[in-house]
Amino acid sequence: MKYLSVFFGILILINLGCAQKSVQIPPSDQQHLQSIQQGKYDFQGDSKRKDGEILEEELARRERERLKDTSYARKDYMQFKDILFDFDSYSIKNEYTGQLDTMVKWLKQNKGMKITVEGHCDEKGTVEYNLALGQKRAEAVKTYLTKSGIEASRVNTISYGKELPVDPGHDEEAWAKNRRASFKLD
Amino acid sequence: MKRLSLIVGMIFGICILFTTSTTNAMVYLDVFGKSYKKITIGIPPFKAEKQDKLKTDMTDLLQRDLDFSGFFIVAPPTLIDKELTDEGIEKQEIRFNNWRSIGIELVCKAKLVVNNEELTLESFLYDTFDGSLMLAKRYRSRTGEWRRMVHRLADDILQAVTGEKGINSNRIIFASGSKSRKDIYISDIDGQNIKRLTNHRSICVSPSVSPNGKYLTYTSYREGKPNLYVFDLESNREIFVDREEGMKVGTNWIGSSSTLAYSYISGRYSTIYTLDVEKRHKTSIMRSEGIYASPSFSPDGSKMVFLSDMHGTPQIFIRDIPSGSTKRLTYSGNYNSSPVFSPKGDLIAFVAKFEGSFEICTMNVDGSNQRVLTSGGINDSPHFSPCGRYIIYSSNRGGKSTINIMLFNGENKKTLKLTDAEETQPKFVP
Repeated sequence: MKYLSVFFGILILINLGCAQKSVQIPPSDQQHLQSIQQGKYDFQGDSKRKDGEILEEELARRERERLKDTSYARKDYMQFKDILFDFDSYSIKNEYTGQLDTMVKWLKQNKGMKITVEGHCDEKGTVEYNLALGQKRAEAVKTYLTKSGIEASRVNTISYGKELPVDPGHDEEAWAKNRRASFKLD
Repeated sequence: MKRLSLIVGMIFGICILFTTSTTNAMVYLDVFGKSYKKITIGIPPFKAEKQDKLKTDMTDLLQRDLDFSGFFIVAPPTLIDKELTDEGIEKQEIRFNNWRSIGIELVCKAKLVVNNEELTLESFLYDTFDGSLMLAKRYRSRTGEWRRMVHRLADDILQAVTGEKGINSNRIIFASGSKSRKDIYISDIDGQNIKRLTNHRSICVSPSVSPNGKYLTYTSYREGKPNLYVFDLESNREIFVDREEGMKVGTNWIGSSSTLAYSYISGRYSTIYTLDVEKRHKTSIMRSEGIYASPSFSPDGSKMVFLSDMHGTPQIFIRDIPSGSTKRLTYSGNYNSSPVFSPKGDLIAFVAKFEGSFEICTMNVDGSNQRVLTSGGINDSPHFSPCGRYIIYSSNRGGKSTINIMLFNGENKKTLKLTDAEETQPKFVP
């Protein structure tokens, strides 16, 4: 879908560019055209082709920037570390609101991005309750994001209970790391 | 002694019964009393026409099965001298006062006949006090299925002595595997005939089998999300999938019906659904904010125990289905979870958190008489045997999670030898 819309976007822009040839040239562009005619720009061929080439170059530049932005967005996204929870709790601790606010900003800047919030638990407690608890942890993060103005459809949730620990250890240090909500780009 | 002859058919399946009817009403051991004394049983090596390994293996297995049951002290072989071993198996050949003098209360004697690929085991159980015959039964089996035959004998001995069959012929299901790859397995209770039922290259959790043995349910991440599946074991086909957005988990079947209950957690709410598998009909019976999970029903379906964090910590509640009234059952501690009804409807097993450990406990249906049955580690997923006398559960004592079994009062704990991987969420197959 994304590629299709980009393709159509390019088509529309090209059409607009072609359409511009028959309309009056705005004053700023007249100046621009004069400078071309005065030979300040080192173009070859007739002016018709020059116009088209400028637009194509401009489009290519925009596309490069867009791709750069996306990769920046992805890179930015990598900064979102796991959010940790207390034992048997799904309330978000104050220390993580800063990170979530950054995430809200990021989501607002990158409208096309969707994320999945994964809820995890430590090995303590029962399998079934932890599957429920993990869901609640993911939902708590989602609620924070949606209350900050992010569309609910852009945030998916999934719980893995205690099935996928990041630290296989059996001590408090490992448990603290495993009681988490982690983020994935969709 | 009169012998009534009663033939129960099936060539390889069931046995031929020719015992007295007087023993049927007699219960030697009331296992539901507050405490009971174990009965000492002597099992001399089975007789056979030729000395072979099979008869020794069979004797060993019977001894192990009866020890496993928790109701017997099996006399060590060294206690039974040559004179006792050489005795015949018929009543008139046995000197009961000799058995009595070494403290043996019951004696089980059997003779094995091997005929090509067919085994016949003629077995007798005597009370050494008066020499009365408690069980006389002939079993037949193919050579390859001798273990099942011995399990049947063990279960019949338990029936004759305790009034209810043993669990040696029972099967169990459980989840097993490593991180990110977990499947559902079925196995005999002695760890034989292990079979993997799912192959999803994903995580499968919370298996259960319907009372008629036809349907298997579980939650699987196969499609990227934890969806609930109902699988028809006869036709080998998935017949129902719940793909709603959110967590769907914790199936328990209601009484002997083909209706199950499970929990659905999504958004702010939790919903307890019942699903009639035959009619594919899903009903919401409870919906509330917070966590509502692990529904389990009394055998008549009139009461449901479940877990809820409505008061801030996970606690166990009971709901009277006709009236809709809900009552809290657990008040001690800040973590009570995984409630399950006994098949007789008289007990509820659950998991409670203590200082750093999670223990299997039982309580009466009104929340009274709470008892802690395990000690240490993370114990989880209690489930009663169909007879209600045993509780199967998982325990990670010793680092690895294993399947364990104990009597409903916490005695006679045994670890089952199944797979080499982590094993969780065991349940009896009805």
